[in-house]
Amino acid sequence: MTSRILLVEDDERIRASMRLALEDEGYEVDEAGSGESALEHFAEQPADVVLIDLMLPGMDGFECCRHLRRTSAVPVIMVTARTDTHDVVAGLEAGADDYVTKPFVAKELAARIRALLRRARSVDEPSVLTFGDIEVRPDEGTVTRAGEEVHCTRTEFRLLCELATNSGKVLSREQLLDRVWGYDYFGDGRLVDVHIRRLRTKIEPDPANPRHILTVRGMGYKLTA
Amino acid sequence: MRGHRLRVVSDVRRRQVDPGGPTRRRRWSRLGLRARVTVTFGLGALALSATMAGLTYFTARQFILNERQTAILRQAYVNASLARSSLRTPNQNITQLLQNLDTLPGSLSALELRGQWYADSPSVGERAIPASLRHLVVSGTPATQHFVLDGSPQLVVGLPVPSVHAAYFEVFSLGELARTLRILALALAGAALVTTAAGAVIGRWASGRALRPLDEVSKAAETIAGGRLHVRLVAADDPDLSALAGTFNRMADALLERIEREARFTSDVSHELRSPLTTLVTSLGVLESHRDDLPSRSRLAVDLLTAELRRFQRMVDDLLEISRVDTGSAELSLDEVEVGELVREAAQAAGVGGVPVHSDPGVAGLRIWVDKRRIERVVANLVDNAAQYGGGVTALAIEPAPEGVRLVVIDHGPGVAPAERERIFERFYRGQTSGRRGATDGTGLGLSLVAEHVRLHGGRVWVETGADGENRFVVELPTHDRDRVTTTLVARTVEHRRTPPALDPHSDAS
Repeated sequence: MTSRILLVEDDERIRASMRLALEDEGYEVDEAGSGESALEHFAEQPADVVLIDLMLPGMDGFECCRHLRRTSAVPVIMVTARTDTHDVVAGLEAGADDYVTKPFVAKELAARIRALLRRARSVDEPSVLTFGDIEVRPDEGTVTRAGEEVHCTRTEFRLLCELATNSGKVLSREQLLDRVWGYDYFGDGRLVDVHIRRLRTKIEPDPANPRHILTVRGMGYKLTA
Repeated sequence: MRGHRLRVVSDVRRRQVDPGGPTRRRRWSRLGLRARVTVTFGLGALALSATMAGLTYFTARQFILNERQTAILRQAYVNASLARSSLRTPNQNITQLLQNLDTLPGSLSALELRGQWYADSPSVGERAIPASLRHLVVSGTPATQHFVLDGSPQLVVGLPVPSVHAAYFEVFSLGELARTLRILALALAGAALVTTAAGAVIGRWASGRALRPLDEVSKAAETIAGGRLHVRLVAADDPDLSALAGTFNRMADALLERIEREARFTSDVSHELRSPLTTLVTSLGVLESHRDDLPSRSRLAVDLLTAELRRFQRMVDDLLEISRVDTGSAELSLDEVEVGELVREAAQAAGVGGVPVHSDPGVAGLRIWVDKRRIERVVANLVDNAAQYGGGVTALAIEPAPEGVRLVVIDHGPGVAPAERERIFERFYRGQTSGRRGATDGTGLGLSLVAEHVRLHGGRVWVETGADGENRFVVELPTHDRDRVTTTLVARTVEHRRTPPALDPHSDAS
């Protein structure tokens, strides 16, 4: 079954060219010219991946992403004209899983979409990973904290699984990018940092003083029970 | 101190030749404002004091001479009448008589009686008195005359005494008086000299004081020229100075605004270019993926488009990166990395993973804080540069430096001409280098970006020629710890984001 992509972009020509490129890569493409129409469209016809341009008239890309996140864990890639830390971090904090910078190469975008859609889990994973009062069930895709379900995006969930299966070991940003985002080249460490921050707010009792997901200065992150 | 106007001369006017004595004027203005003020003050003081001294001298001299002459005349009349009454008595010893007369010190008396000459001192002979005066007096006219006797100024008074057929003469020495006047003249000249010197000193001090704000202005201007655009002068209380400070600061503001506007403009243009560029890149990507279905001529056109579009895209990216540095919004994201690993990864990313890396034993295991993305770009751009102008990279090297570490990118050469070694790091500089090979993807910004990235790290970059004519592009990075990197960064950012470090024109220049 082909994957559906919802393309939220106000520039008609960019939208048309991206549709061509993504259809060439074998995806079905739905278009939306504004954040509002994108949310409407998504409610009627959910997509497998959503591409959101940050600079939209009316409701901007950040807002659109936040709205989407209230109801869905769908992978979101934001499209930004800037590589400035501010926009990238704000976009990730709004709930995006990844970002691409304009102008991007369609093949690279397609690769990222594929990586997001892939269930990157090894076969020998145990069915339940526990640390503290947290339980992660990789094959069910659920996380519970003290018995209560925690809602995670797919990327957050994969990041948590990766850390939990390597509990006690330090994982560098590069390793995490490689395993969670599927980047086999040098990616952007900010992706990892922002997702770790988001995970902490969901599973740590005190996100400012994390007990489980620890930062190892100059090296990376590790999970402790 | 007021009244100093800065002369602003346009180029055109400056080039005009002054018709009246250009050489002299040039020499005069070469003296410098301070020297000129000093000389003017000195000359003014000299003219004034010389005039005063001259007036004083001549008035005093006139007064003293008059006094003396009056006294002399009075005494001569008294003595002449005494002589007359004595001569009425017959058989007088005339020399005795003359000696008994009451005379001023230094004066001598003489008497001519019926053609016979008498004097109270043998030095006043008949010949000592000028003959013309003697004849005049003997013929019945009283007279006075200045003359010089034995090198000493004298005044002679001759009075006829007709009742006894005699003429009375008195000779006064004015030597003492001349000495007094000479001392007076010396004293006055001395005073004039002192006044002149004092005038020059005051001129120097005053001009120094008046020009001190100019020193501050010039210091501030120099700082601004050095790139610290946020330096401002503190407005002084003095209305003249505060006007100067105000004008200077407005100029600096205008300059800064202009530079920022230009940097913003570059950034805006680059951003605006991204939307059409996205459509172009994406559409061309679609065309490319159907390349095999295209006729061969169209295929060629697509290939040309693709290559040129890639270059265009890189140019926009580079411009954006540079404009971020220019507007001060560039941020370093620092990581601690091992130098060898950094270089090897960067080489890999730049597509020259197979090139040997010569690592000095002195830097084995050395860890430094860097923005990996930027350093990878630095290496990639140097590798690109080597490919375009230096026949490709032959080796990379890591060498220790006094306060840091050097990453060296070595190519085949030919070496960059000494005159171009600095200029090649300028934006869009395309040298006369003959080593350039065919069509390139060069944007003209690669090396200037290298320089900016390295500068952000507090390091420097240069090119040198090796023993075999190869180019060695050397990037020197400081090895200080993270805190110091971030401190310098914060300092730099603050500098970019306006906190004017004030230069106070009234503070004492140390």
